Amino acid sequence: MAAAGAAGAVANVFPFRDARAAPDPVLEAGPGAHGPLPVPLVLDNGSFQARAGWACPGPDPGPEPRLQFRAVCARGRGGARGGAGPQVGNALGSLEPLRWMLRSPFDRNVPVNLELQELLLDYSFQHLGVSSQGCVDHPIVLTEAVCNPLYSRQMMSELLFECYGIPKVAYGIDSLFSFYHNKPKNLISSGLIISSGYQCTHILPILEGRLDAKNCKRINLGGSQAAGYLQRLLQLKYPGHLAAITLSRMEEILHEHSYVAEDYVEELQKWRCPDYYENNVHKMQLPFSSKLLGSTLSSEEKQERRQQQLRRLQELNARRREEKLQLDQERLDRLLYVQELLEDGQMDQFHKALVELNMDSPEELQSYIQKLSSAVEQAKQKILQAEVTLEVDVVDSKPETPDLEQLEPSLEDVESINDFEPLFSEETPEVEKPVTTVQPVFNLAAYHQLFVGTERIRAPEIIFQPSLIGEEQAGIAETLQYILDRYSKDVQDLLVQNVFLTGGNMMYPGMKSRIEKELLEMRPFQSAFKVQLASNPVLDAWYGARDWALDHLDNDEVWITRKEYEEKGGEYLKEHCASNIYVPIRLPKQASRFSDTQAPSKGSGASGGSAGEQA
Amino acid sequence: MEAMSENKMVTSDFSTGPMEKAAKPLPFKDPNFVHSGHGGAVAGKKNRTWKNLKQILASERALPWQLNDPNYFSIDAPPSFKPAKKYSDVSGLLANYTDPQSKLRFSTIEEFSYIRRLPSDVVTGYLALRKATSIVP
Repeated sequence: MAAAGAAGAVANVFPFRDARAAPDPVLEAGPGAHGPLPVPLVLDNGSFQARAGWACPGPDPGPEPRLQFRAVCARGRGGARGGAGPQVGNALGSLEPLRWMLRSPFDRNVPVNLELQELLLDYSFQHLGVSSQGCVDHPIVLTEAVCNPLYSRQMMSELLFECYGIPKVAYGIDSLFSFYHNKPKNLISSGLIISSGYQCTHILPILEGRLDAKNCKRINLGGSQAAGYLQRLLQLKYPGHLAAITLSRMEEILHEHSYVAEDYVEELQKWRCPDYYENNVHKMQLPFSSKLLGSTLSSEEKQERRQQQLRRLQELNARRREEKLQLDQERLDRLLYVQELLEDGQMDQFHKALVELNMDSPEELQSYIQKLSSAVEQAKQKILQAEVTLEVDVVDSKPETPDLEQLEPSLEDVESINDFEPLFSEETPEVEKPVTTVQPVFNLAAYHQLFVGTERIRAPEIIFQPSLIGEEQAGIAETLQYILDRYSKDVQDLLVQNVFLTGGNMMYPGMKSRIEKELLEMRPFQSAFKVQLASNPVLDAWYGARDWALDHLDNDEVWITRKEYEEKGGEYLKEHCASNIYVPIRLPKQASRFSDTQAPSKGSGASGGSAGEQA
Repeated sequence: MEAMSENKMVTSDFSTGPMEKAAKPLPFKDPNFVHSGHGGAVAGKKNRTWKNLKQILASERALPWQLNDPNYFSIDAPPSFKPAKKYSDVSGLLANYTDPQSKLRFSTIEEFSYIRRLPSDVVTGYLALRKATSIVP
């Protein structure tokens, strides 16, 4: 049915794949994972997907992260069932039926609900084959948000060290790991990273290999806002298909059918032209079934059913008529007998009978007899006719107009018992309409198609023009300019020589040329710049983190050990080439459940305690 | 001394925490772990739910940051200085005109007639999409 590429009316029709995720197997940790030293676990903790795997040293580091799953969990269907427990990620299969019950540990790009984070970590460790008893005995490399709030890091460290008992952890930024992976290793590089993820887009200047954190900027728009925008646009355009326009399908459209226009205004002008529209509109075919349509579509089954009902009613009517006929016949006989009494001259009996019948005079009796006999005659006629039509119905199989003519007299039957058969009474007006033959099939399909035209470029455009969805923040181009203006001219040149694009939301076709065009507009005349896209924008963060972990296994200056966690608190961070900047502010340790049973924790709830602890 | 008191709190969390884990305990976890950020019913009325990002950021603001320290809210992108281009709500083309009755933007005559025939919930939907709904007094 989807004949894409062919010229003509059926061009550009695409079905939805509606893919379901397969549940992950519980993997065995391979032999590489149990080397002499415990092997690090690398976990790219993203708000869209979590990717986890081993960082195996040795010749074959392994192709891809072993686990990639959506960072969501949901309880079993039908309310909170204690037995099944919450399911995570790929074990959920299709996300759509559970859309309203999906919970994610993330709020924007920061994990805030650590219980759900614990579930995700449980899932990852279990499916990676972590087998150590009592604790997870491997160092962990974990990604965090740019300028992660201290509270969130504190909670995360607490979870890792106290619940899982890991020996040491290193936090890093996913876009910096991706940069690390794509650059030659021994070069201390500077550059400008534009990283667009599911929830937000960051622009990070790197100077001398270290992140210049105070000049970073974050735009709070990403893939999920683009998907939401696209969903609302299509739902408003096709209000009849509200339920079928789901977020998963929107993500499919974004991943496969959208692109970024190099010059937005010019591209829109192209879309104005109807020929361009016809050639480039993508018609997304929603699944449909013809049975669901109403009575306008007449199938042979409908005809059959109607015929059967008609027959049933006719039989019923015939029976009733016969009964009535019998009653009338008896009454007629009685009246005739009374009349004979009159003719025979037995006046007394006649008058007595008249009184019984509630009549006053022989004339009335006569007229009544006449009426009744004519009614009896008519009934007999009708019965004969009905029998004839029944026979004709049985013989006549095709639902064409001759059938209608036969059905006409039986309409009177029908109308007399309209209240008896409500379903049939609905269909009586249709019996009068000319019955059409089979509807052309592609008309029905066209009714269930979503025409995605300019939406293909509108949805990805929101990171360049946030005013499209009413956000006040500046888009990528203006923010780039703002950041570059904070540096001196030569530093600007240095940064612009090495613009690096990463992140899943950067994978639209045409994104690189769009960024190049924006840079061309804002840089001085005839200055040079270079834009590079990551080799695998989605997975490079994980690869980079794995490479980093293997390179820095022995380096104690980058790992936070358990001892340091206990001494310096959960929000402590050790800086390295791919990490955030650490600002040494102590957070008060959060009041635990048992704060009332322990004296030393009295001062821990208030922020006044922090000032005391900092000294 | 601070470190020691920290240690004591840590270890006592360990030993006195009650267990409330799911049915199948996983071998690599500590079954007695409780999150300190989430009180649950036991902590009483104070600490029921996880803080969401807004609350976390609000409490982060109160910390003693220096002027140049990077933190989550200081790296928010600034608002745009350039005037926003107007696009049609229906088709996304450049919109030169606005319907005074519904405040929707359109670019061609056909779009105008389409807009005038829209039901009111679709109209408010388009306006809400670009956050242009007016608050009726």
